Amino acid sequence: MSLFYDVTLRDGNHALRHKLTAKAVTDYCNIADKSGVWAVEVGHGNGLGASSFLVGKSDSSDRVLLESARAALENTKLAVHSIPGFSTIKRDLIPAIEIGVDIFRVATHVTEANTAEKHIEFLATKDVIVHGVLMMSHMTTIENLVIQAGRMETYGASAVILMDSAGFFLPEDTEIRVKAIRESLGIEVGFHAHNNLGMGVANANTAINAGASIIDGAAMGLGAGAGNAQLEAIIANQIRDSHSNLNIEPFLSMSENINQNYNDSLPRITKSSIESGMAGVFSGYAPQVKEIAQEFGVNTSKIWDEMAKRNLVAGQESMIREIAQDLMNL
Amino acid sequence: MKINVAILGSGNIGTDLCERLLLDKEFNVVAIVGRRPDSEGLKRFVGRIPNIVSSGISGMSKLVEGLDGVFDATSAQDHLEHWKYFEVNNKFMIDLTPSKIGRPIAPALIGKNTTMKLGEKFAFNYSLVTCGGQSSAALLHASSKHSSGIKEVEISSSIASLSAGPATRRNIDQYIESTENLASLITGCSSTKAILVLNPADPPVMMRTTVSMRVEKADLSKMDSELKSIVEDIRKYVPGYEVVISPHLSKDGVVSATAKVTGAGYYLPSYAGNLDIINAAGVEIAKKHFKNYELQGDLK
Repeated sequence: MSLFYDVTLRDGNHALRHKLTAKAVTDYCNIADKSGVWAVEVGHGNGLGASSFLVGKSDSSDRVLLESARAALENTKLAVHSIPGFSTIKRDLIPAIEIGVDIFRVATHVTEANTAEKHIEFLATKDVIVHGVLMMSHMTTIENLVIQAGRMETYGASAVILMDSAGFFLPEDTEIRVKAIRESLGIEVGFHAHNNLGMGVANANTAINAGASIIDGAAMGLGAGAGNAQLEAIIANQIRDSHSNLNIEPFLSMSENINQNYNDSLPRITKSSIESGMAGVFSGYAPQVKEIAQEFGVNTSKIWDEMAKRNLVAGQESMIREIAQDLMNL
Repeated sequence: MKINVAILGSGNIGTDLCERLLLDKEFNVVAIVGRRPDSEGLKRFVGRIPNIVSSGISGMSKLVEGLDGVFDATSAQDHLEHWKYFEVNNKFMIDLTPSKIGRPIAPALIGKNTTMKLGEKFAFNYSLVTCGGQSSAALLHASSKHSSGIKEVEISSSIASLSAGPATRRNIDQYIESTENLASLITGCSSTKAILVLNPADPPVMMRTTVSMRVEKADLSKMDSELKSIVEDIRKYVPGYEVVISPHLSKDGVVSATAKVTGAGYYLPSYAGNLDIINAAGVEIAKKHFKNYELQGDLK
């Protein structure tokens, strides 16, 4: 049986433009703690230490959000996402350990796993669970994906999570990747879907069947771009097929909590989601693309295409303005 | 008078530096120093540099007398030992490692920013900080000089994956801390944040650095003209440095500007602008330091 990993209060913070409050964290965690969900991930959309002009400022600090969650969680583990280059061991990881975070996910762009070496090695010496995350996992070959996952295993990660950050995969793409890692490495595999092209829940289910033991989802799908795989739907499918002993009720309460509090921010498959999904560009860029397209009077799809051409990875928000400027000068 | 120098380190940085100095009439490259006789970097300069040393600084005792200064392109760990040796021998040191021992310096800001000063003695150690630091220095100075009430400062850089070697990848935290420290120095603001993103695109991307600051008041047009005049100076030693997004208000109260660095391609390819700008700045500060003492007539 797979473990379910709830990213509502982290990936969902993209959809909330990083305005998540301590009270919302407490309220949600109070319900989640009784749901049987394995872990709840909390923080800025780009993880620990990412609050910045570049990717967006958080209204609440990492510390405030994590402490609120820590106080509310007894059964469910508290988790964070962390990208080397944004976070550092001294400024971000050590304080998070002190607050009592249980699971650390050290994330890199799919081809850059070795930038996680120091952070994973450091965390592996502490009494916490360490996952490696390969973001934008569609942007390389299957062979290289296995090599990169293998590096994270060597550094000391107990699982590697494949993120379909642009919501680009079809179920067969998901299956072949999860299986390739399962067959080549001893490490656990997790899968994190996005819904740009409507494949979120289908990809999550496929990943489970292919042997992924950790499955990410978000209540109401709250997440970057068109959102994540909807957690309550993934679980409903598992219960229906008798693959899970979980009870759907608390997941529906989590769903209602998000639905009522953030009705205006719920992700949908919009024009931008499809454009970014087809272009294979990180869906978290959607708000900035929309803003800058308006400011410069450029078509959003032209910007997405140009971003794809230039192979933008997550964290290059300042390139959007340069691209719009270049498109104007064509 | 030519500046007599040795280069410590025969990796990518040392090799690029050596090629650059061999073409520069102001320098006389006395030696390149490595640790392995079979190093590609050392072999490359046989017949082109009088002394090829493959036994580290222990093989330099006969050469040290003829030197004015040394460029250190080895590692932060080795730098301290190197500096101890050359300091007692009265040589200046240009540190290209992230060791944080020397004075952080951005040559284009000397005489412009009060914290950027030439050394007070000949045997002085300069730290070139990081590529993010060198590429953001002009933006940091121009933006902070023409604004008031600076609350926070951010430097975000993206570089080509191919230009980030194993040492950079293992030491991203060190990169971040050194860059933040330089930003505090230049702007006087204690709340600084540095971000580094590696982009694996093929063909490789050119380095870009964006500086953003939350300020109470800003004079964008003064910032712009200040920046233009510093960039003119920088381009004399980094021809591929350009401001691609001029200072503008990116959000309420937040001033931003972006620079792009295309490498000069001495040895490293043009996408390695991040390495190029550090080497070019190192050469520039060596010239400035040496001239300063030459003028005072008290060389050594």
